[in-house]
Formats: sequence, structure tokens, C-alpha cells
Amino acid sequence: MEVLMPQLGETVAEGKISTWYKNVGDKVEAGDTLFEVETDKATMEVEATESGFLTDVNFTAGETAAVGTVIAVISDSADSAGKSTATSVEEKPAGDNGTGGAEDILMPQLGETVAEGKISTWYKSVGDQVAAGEKLFEVETDKATMEVEATVAGILSDIVIAEGEAGPVGTIVARIGGGTGGTSPKQEAPKPTTPSMDLERFRPTSQPASGHLDPFNEVKTPALVRIAAKIPDGIKLTPVAKRMIQTNGIDAARLSSTVLSRGGSRVAKKDVLEFLNSGQSTSVAAEKPEFLKVTPGPHDQVVELNRFRKITAERLTASWQTAPHVYQAVEINFTALNKTRLEHKDSYKERHGTSLTFLPFIVRATAMALRDFPHVNARFDGENLVVGKEINIGIAIDLDGDGLVVPVIHNTDEMNVPGIASAIHRLVEKARESKLAPSEFEGGTYTISNNGSFNTLMTTPIINAPQVAILSTDTIQRRPVIAGSGEDEKIVPGLLGVVGQCFDHRAFDGAYSARFLNRIREIIETRDWSRDFD
Amino acid sequence: MAELTYREAVARGIAQEMERDNDVVFLGEDVAAAGGVFKATEGLIDKFGPLRVRDTPISEQAILGAAMGAAMTGLKPIAEIMFSDFIAVCFDYIANEFPKSRYMTNGQVKCPLVVRTGNGGGSRFGAQHSQSVENWAMMIPGLKVVAPSSPSDVVGLLAASVRDPDPVIFFEHKSLYATKGEVPDGEIVDQLGTAKIVRQGKDATILALALMVPRALEAAEKLSNEAGIDCEVIDVRSLVPLDMQTILTSVAKTGRLYTVEENPRLCGWGAEITSIIADEAFYDLDGPLIRITTPHIPLPAADNLEDLALPSVDRIFAKIQTTMN
Amino acid sequence: MQNEVNQSASSLANDDIGTENRLELYRLQVEIRNAEQRAYDLFLQNLVKGTSHLSLGQEAIAAGVAVAMEPNDLSFCTYRGHAHTLARGVPSEQVLGELMQKDNGLMRGKGGSMHLTSVEHGVMGSYAIIGAHLPIACGAAWRAQYRGDKDVSVCFFGDGTTNIGAFHEALNFAVIWKLPVVFVCENNLYMEYTPISEVTAVEHPAADRACAYGLESIVIDGNDADIVYRTMKTAFDKAREGGGPSLIEALTYRHSGHSRADPAKYRPEGELEKWKERDPIKIYRERLAQFGISEEQIKEIEENSMKRIDEATEKCKAAPIPPEDILATDVYADGGWAWRN
Repeated sequence: MEVLMPQLGETVAEGKISTWYKNVGDKVEAGDTLFEVETDKATMEVEATESGFLTDVNFTAGETAAVGTVIAVISDSADSAGKSTATSVEEKPAGDNGTGGAEDILMPQLGETVAEGKISTWYKSVGDQVAAGEKLFEVETDKATMEVEATVAGILSDIVIAEGEAGPVGTIVARIGGGTGGTSPKQEAPKPTTPSMDLERFRPTSQPASGHLDPFNEVKTPALVRIAAKIPDGIKLTPVAKRMIQTNGIDAARLSSTVLSRGGSRVAKKDVLEFLNSGQSTSVAAEKPEFLKVTPGPHDQVVELNRFRKITAERLTASWQTAPHVYQAVEINFTALNKTRLEHKDSYKERHGTSLTFLPFIVRATAMALRDFPHVNARFDGENLVVGKEINIGIAIDLDGDGLVVPVIHNTDEMNVPGIASAIHRLVEKARESKLAPSEFEGGTYTISNNGSFNTLMTTPIINAPQVAILSTDTIQRRPVIAGSGEDEKIVPGLLGVVGQCFDHRAFDGAYSARFLNRIREIIETRDWSRDFD
Repeated sequence: MAELTYREAVARGIAQEMERDNDVVFLGEDVAAAGGVFKATEGLIDKFGPLRVRDTPISEQAILGAAMGAAMTGLKPIAEIMFSDFIAVCFDYIANEFPKSRYMTNGQVKCPLVVRTGNGGGSRFGAQHSQSVENWAMMIPGLKVVAPSSPSDVVGLLAASVRDPDPVIFFEHKSLYATKGEVPDGEIVDQLGTAKIVRQGKDATILALALMVPRALEAAEKLSNEAGIDCEVIDVRSLVPLDMQTILTSVAKTGRLYTVEENPRLCGWGAEITSIIADEAFYDLDGPLIRITTPHIPLPAADNLEDLALPSVDRIFAKIQTTMN
Repeated sequence: MQNEVNQSASSLANDDIGTENRLELYRLQVEIRNAEQRAYDLFLQNLVKGTSHLSLGQEAIAAGVAVAMEPNDLSFCTYRGHAHTLARGVPSEQVLGELMQKDNGLMRGKGGSMHLTSVEHGVMGSYAIIGAHLPIACGAAWRAQYRGDKDVSVCFFGDGTTNIGAFHEALNFAVIWKLPVVFVCENNLYMEYTPISEVTAVEHPAADRACAYGLESIVIDGNDADIVYRTMKTAFDKAREGGGPSLIEALTYRHSGHSRADPAKYRPEGELEKWKERDPIKIYRERLAQFGISEEQIKEIEENSMKRIDEATEKCKAAPIPPEDILATDVYADGGWAWRN
């Protein structure tokens, strides 16, 4: 059967294939995602509606095709000549262990809400000998990158998902020790001891009318339609509305809000049609106004953002556009704190092997302040402030100009400065080596962006939505400070730094934020920091 | 073209097939000399003689068993069970013998017979002579089940049933026997497993069978005139084989589905069809699948009570009107 | 009025049966005995599965009727049908194969022990619902009558069947339409686990009902193959000449339980032993000797039969199980199962 470029929206005539999830020759099952299509309105995944072998791919990743053109062909047998599958050697179904002792390397769990990852780098090639524990490849998701190691020693026999390609969590990425190698494994399936559930043979040959059915699939269940957007509470979508939303790339949240606002509790077909016709269907990333369009000159270099940056860009834009950002800052005198820091610097280094910087102190102070100002330790869902029970501070870490990760210290307020320092260090190391576990960047309630090493005075960071605020710490440097008063007033050197917060003005107002910031300052300037080192 | 009553169409269909093929024989209670209690088989014995049109004792098991034995060994029998309620008396043949012999014998034994029976209510015959039991036959693997709503469909579908090599249970509706319709001249052969769109529409799909078809049509007219709701009405005609493609195409267009079923609520024919739609056409649905049925009770004899029980035009209209919004 | 057909065994002078038939009568009984015994043994080894209703001890009826039948005549029997299937010439390998649920079985394992059918041999089905096939046999006979075909339908059933509705409907039907059908009741004295006398209003469950349908009451010794043969010949001739149906009650006894699962503890003591003295094969072996068949010839029949059964057993053991792709075939005439498009 032919896989066509699907309808992409009322006014959309063509789409770009951004990613292929299958290779030519792969066995596909009905429901498998084949490829992803991008338009300037939305991206959409296209699934196989029938099982078979992907025998022809007419458009590769990066190419554009018109709606309705044949993108690929799924055939009954692995070669397009249409030989009966009963006579050809069949590929083992994915996930089956034991292609003669081969070990499957699967796409690992990448995070609670992450369904797939893209292989950004392959460190090994087919035929290479790998040792157990050796790095095989690196996976990117929109949250982080992660390295995957070989679980057994052996020859890397198959690479199923190549560099630059993506695959769902749990599917086979590669195989170690299987057959004679290759990129599309076609090995003799072991003789089954229990009846196989290959239902292909139940397709009746003399029944053209119901040829798409078999005795165990008398009814053809459609692929699930998932709407990623968060639908507000109190509204339901009819199934056909869901499908139309997906097909047309409509902003479901906006459509639902529109219906809700006029008192409806259900989005039905007519609502979708109305929405489409009213022109509101233009989503956030809609028709670009002329002045924003960029035409590269002959010598300009076009640097395509990597997937990670693109997704970060989307999130930052969304955060910026939904939360009214307000920046406030306080200037903090770190002189006293620094004394304690210097007192314990060496013993800390001796014990942990790393430097004791200002950051853990600031984090500690922030955690304590958050206890007193719980609304800052919250997330906003558009309607409600969800105040966090735990204080989980995320530290934004810049990966040498190649992305940003925010690992989270859980229950920060229960840790002392050395504890926080160690935690930060450990997380930074892991982040730099792309070894962060999903739990290590989930659950954050507040974020600190540490710009101290950039020699900047202050920074207005973008809130890590759906949190309600983010702190920036900038350079701490020696500056003249006025000490004393009246007759004793003099200028002394002191260590000063600007600590600023961007907050979502929907969540609370300037007075609350100011009090919070001043609390941090108070803690930093007046706390007996040696207590943390007892 | 001629205008025939539904009952005349029955005789016409049987005659057409008996003329065509000498192996077609017909047996039942009071079917020959008396021309049938519903007068649906009048004139056949005169045309084809007492060897081909035979009266039997009140022996439903013998009637169906003999039909099967004859079918297995080369004839094409049509057997009548007077009231469809009585298939309960000879249900062994319908459930255990006809539909399973081919399968169990690995294709050796065939069973090309037709059981015609008078189905449905509206004639004030009381609980044991008024039931709609096409769903009893629908649920048994290996049978084919047909229920025509008009005289021309009677002829065409009866012919198709006789020519079908599998056992067919042909449900005629007692309250339709007197209705009239245009029937083309000449030989008519229809196709089992085909539903008919008897009214085109875009807002909702209504599935109906036999007596419920004219009622659905009338309700659809009323809905169009009085409520601005444009319904597509489909006469399902054949429960097995089931023309799901026509039904699914209609649902894809309208997004709303209603069934009008004369059988009592539980496990009526619409229960199966709506479950298929809820699966296969889930993402075409704009609202819930609604079945309009007789309540799950035995049927009363009194006319006002029986009329209350069976889905009426008003009840169909009201249900659709209040649930389409 | 009762009419017991009885014949002295030593009427050499007017041997209406003939040596050829006699040898065939014996061979069939031995074949059936060996096959059924083998089925019994294989069941104990769990190679025959499900349920099996054996005719051990009832071989004379199956053989006697079969030899009296013409090739075009049709048999309809019950779930205790292995004997009747074998008697019409269906190879024991196919019968055993079906019992062992192998692909070489008569129906490739789709029907099982209770539904043995071979249209090719005129075995028009073994029926598991008691009484169902009596009207069906009437239908087959109606077809013969309608078309002017000369075949007769024979319908076998047990004593228990005589109390079910379909029995009565079929007899009445066959009589009023004068159908060429012969009803043979194998009265083995037990309706499943209960003595037939306890559940029947009359002494002879079939023969004593004959008068209700205007039929002759016939009770015979079902363990004497010659008697069965002669009785059947008469009934067939009557039917073929348009004389209508016959109802014959053949007295016999089953050596095993109702089915393999039944150890038959309900039998009174000594009853089985008494009947084993009237074992049909024992009787017929002696009969053959009386008619001058040598011991060598008799032994040869027995040995050949056993050899065939052994070969069949090995073939069946080696045969594959049914392939999964026949699961949903032949539900409908087009070979498929589809109930929708």
C-alpha cells in the first residue's frame, strides 16, 4: 500500500519530512510511526495503517512533498517483487530476544513525558568490537542529552537507528552479537515452541471485500489520536473534533478556551469548523510578518539550530509570551559570608576535591527564603498557583555554549552548604557527561541561573515555565562600600553582587517579590555561615 | 413494473426460483393447499405441484431437519417456520446443525437452504407470536441473516438467498405483508451483504431494519421539516453478511449514528453494529451512538400497549431531536 | 405385536448370505474391534484426546448393516459413530487420525470423534445432538424420493434417542411421506449412565413405539451379524420399492462405558460377563467355522486387520498436528469466515 503525504491543514499544500523513524526494508506494524512532517503551522507524525515491509521511500528527511504524493510504499514482502512472505525468511519482530544470542540495545527511558529520543552521535560502527560499559551512542531529547553504554561485550552487529534519526523509547536501537551484521537484520527466526501469533496467514485469499480483516481482527481499530496541548478542565473534545484538530494542526488549548468562554463544555465538529473558518486557526508560529523574514545573503552562513536548541527556543518563547516577566534585583554584600567561605575553602577542597564557591551559599539562602515565601516556590497552570510542598531548586547549567540543562536538587532546604555544594558539583559533572537521570531534572519548583563566571553585572533570565520565578546571580566583585554613618562614615572595600529575580506577575506582585529578595539578602549578609560547617 | 404487496412478493420470489431450478423445493405448515397462514405462498402448489410444494405436520424439527438432509444431498429447499418465535422450538438446527456442518466436516458437507419465517410485531398476536428474533440468528457463526423491508427487496433478496450456497434465515415481517411497493418485471436477483441508503442526508445516520425502515424514513422527514436535521437513513437489509462499508462511509460523513431496532434492548442487532463503529470509526464520531429499541420486556397484546413498546415515528423523532445539538 | 426374527445358525443348504459376504462381515467386525480397542489404549496414553464413544461389543450391527447396503446408500449415525464410519470403508488411519487430532484425520481435526463424516463413502455425518439426525436422514430420503434416486438412508441411534422429540417427529414424518429411510436403534440397554428401562414407558424403547406410527415392531439379536444383515436386506428392499420406512431395534451391549470417561460402575454385577459370552465376534468366528472357513483364513483376517491398525497407528503418531491457518476456513461455502466487508 502507498503511504501518502497526509492532509496537513486547510491551507497547506505541502510538508517537509523532518524525520524518518524507519529504514527501507524495515518491517512495520500498523500503528508504527513512519515519519514526521513539518509545516509552518505544526508538526505531525504519520503512522503506518497496515503491517508489512517498507520497500520504497521516495522522500527522505529534509525533503518536501505535496499533500497526496506517495511518500513510501509498504509491501507484503521485503522485496518489492511481491513474493509470498511464507517462502521468504522473516525478520524477527522487534523486542524479541535471542537472534541466536544477540543482545538488543533499546532506546532507554528518557524522562516521564518523553516518548522518543534522537541519536545525536554514534561512537561505534557496525562491526566494531565493544566492551561492556563502553559508550555506544548519545541520545538527545528536548530536556537533555544522555549517553548509552553497551550492556554486554561483543561485536556491534546491527545499527537500527542511525545518527540523526529518532526512535521511540523501548525500541531497538542496535544489536550486539547478532548474525553477520548489517543495518537491516533479516535473520531466520528461531522455531517457535508455542503457536506463533503471526496472523498474516488468516488473511483470506478468496475474500477481496474483507481482505483487510482476519479472524482475530474482525474490526479495524484506528490509530490513537493524541492531542499534546493541555486542554483546560471542564471541556471535552468529541473524537472527530480531536482528529480534525490533529489533522489541521489547530491549537487545541486556544480552541477549547474559545468554546469555554462562550459557555460550551464540549468541542464538537462544528466548533472546529467555525474555528478554522474564523481565521483564528493561525497558531502562534503563524504567517510571519514581512519585516521578520530573513533572506540570507550570498556570504551569510545559515546555522541551523539543532533539535535541542529548537525545542528550547520554543519553550523560552512560550514562557516569555505567556508570563508577564518582571525583573527585580537586590545588591548583596558578600563580605562577611566570604570570610566563612575562605575559612572552610581548603578543608572543603581537601575533602571533596573541588572548590567551595559562592553558589551553594546563595542556593542555601534561597532555599531558606523560599520557606518564608511559598508563593515563589510554585508553578502556574494559567488559572491556579500550584505551591510546591517540597523545595526543589534547579540549577541552570550552561554546557559550554551547547545548550542549557537544569538539574534539580530535591529538598534543597534540608541540605546544608557543603551538601548543596557537593550536589551541585555532582550534577554539573553528570550534566557535562550527559549522564543525568530523568529524576534529576524533574520536579523542580524554582530555578537559579548562575551567571557569576560571566563577569556580568546583572541578568534578566527567562522563567523556567511553568515555575513562577527564576533567580540570577551575577559577578561578585570588589567594590567600594559605604560603612558606618555620620561622623564614622567611610568607604571600605567590600564584595558586592547583584542577585535578581524575574517573576511571573500573574503569580504575585512586586512587593512580595521584593520581600523575598530582601530575605535572601538578609540571610546572606547576617547569617552565621559557620553553622553550616559544624 | 408492477405494484405488489409484500406477501405477493414472497410468492413471486419463490416461484421465480422454483421455475429456474428444479432442485428448489418448498415445505412448511399449511403452505401448500392453504397458501400459507399469511397467504404468502398462494398459488405455488398449483404452479409446481404437490411434490415440490409440501405441507408438513406441526413438526418444526422435522421441517428443518428434512430441509437440511435434502440440502446436504443435492436439493435447494426452502423451509417455512410460520412464526419466527417458533425457531426456538427447532433451534438445534439453526444453531448447531446448519451452520456448523461445513466447518466440522472440513468442507465436505454443504447446506444450501433457506428458512423463511414470519417475524416481528405490530399485529397484536401477543408475546409468543410477535417477537423480532433476527438477532438470535445473527449471533451464530456460519449462518446468513436477511430481513427485507419492501416488496422488491423481498423478491431480490429471496432469490439471492435461494442461490446462496450457505444456510440463510430469511426474516419476513408480518406487519409488512400488506404493504405495497413497485417491483420490476422479469427476473430479480439482489445481493446479500449489501445495505441500501434509502434517504441521503448529512447530519446523522439512522440504521433501520424491516418494519423500522418506513418508520425511520417518516421520522427523518419530520426531523428535516420541523427540526432542520437532515438524516441519512440506511436499510441494513442483511445482518450477515454485514455491509459495514456503507455504514462506516455514512458515519464518516455525518458523525452521528442512531439505530432503530424492533428487537428488545439487550443484544439487539444494533448493539453489535454500534460496537464496531465505536471501534473502527471512533474518530469520526461527534456524539454518542444511540440505539432506539423496544424495551427489554415481553410484548403485550393490547394494541395501545404494543404500539407503545415498538419504536414509533414520534419516539424516533423525539430521541434524535433531543440528542442532536 | 412383537415379531422376533430368529434364525438357526446352521442353514448351510440355503446360504442366502454367501461366503464373500460372510468374510466381509467378519473382517469388518474385527477391524472395528481392533480400531476401537486401539482407540481405547491410545486414550489411556493421552494420544486420543477429548471424548470418545466406543462401539466395543456392538460391531455386528455396524458390519451387518454396512454389508447389506449398496455403495450409494447413505449412513447417518450418532457420536458413537467410529464403527459405522469404518464399516463403510473409511480407512482406519483417517479415523484414528481424527481421534488423535492430527492433520491426517478425516476432517483434519476440525470435527473430532463425535462428528466423523466422509461424504465420499456415504457417511453423511455423526451427530452429537441426540435425535437431530433422524429428521436429517428423512430429508436425504426425501431427496431420493423426489429425484427418483434409488438410494436408501440409514439412520443409527441409541435406545436413549427414542425418548426425544425429534425421534417422534422423524418417524411420523417418514411414515406420512413414505420415505426410503431405515431407522436402526442400537439398544445397548443403557441410556448413557441410566438403564433404559428406568426412563422409558415401554419395554422395547424403539419397537414398542413402532405401532404409534403404523410401523411393524421389529426386535432382533444385534450381536449376530447374519441376523442383522438379513433384517436390513428386507428393510432396504422395502424402502427401495417405495414401501416406506422401517424401524428396527437391535439388542446389543457395550463392553466399555458410555464414553471413555465412564468406568460404567452402574452395571449390575455379572451383566458384562454374561454379555461377553455373546460377544458378536466370538459368535461370528464360530459361524465362519460352521460354514467351512478355515482357521488359517480366519487368523489371516485377524492378523491383517491388526497389521493395518498398527500401520495406521504409526502413521497417525507421525502425522503433524493441524496447521493453524485452517482455523477459520470453511465456515462458509467460499471457504472463508467473513461476516462483514
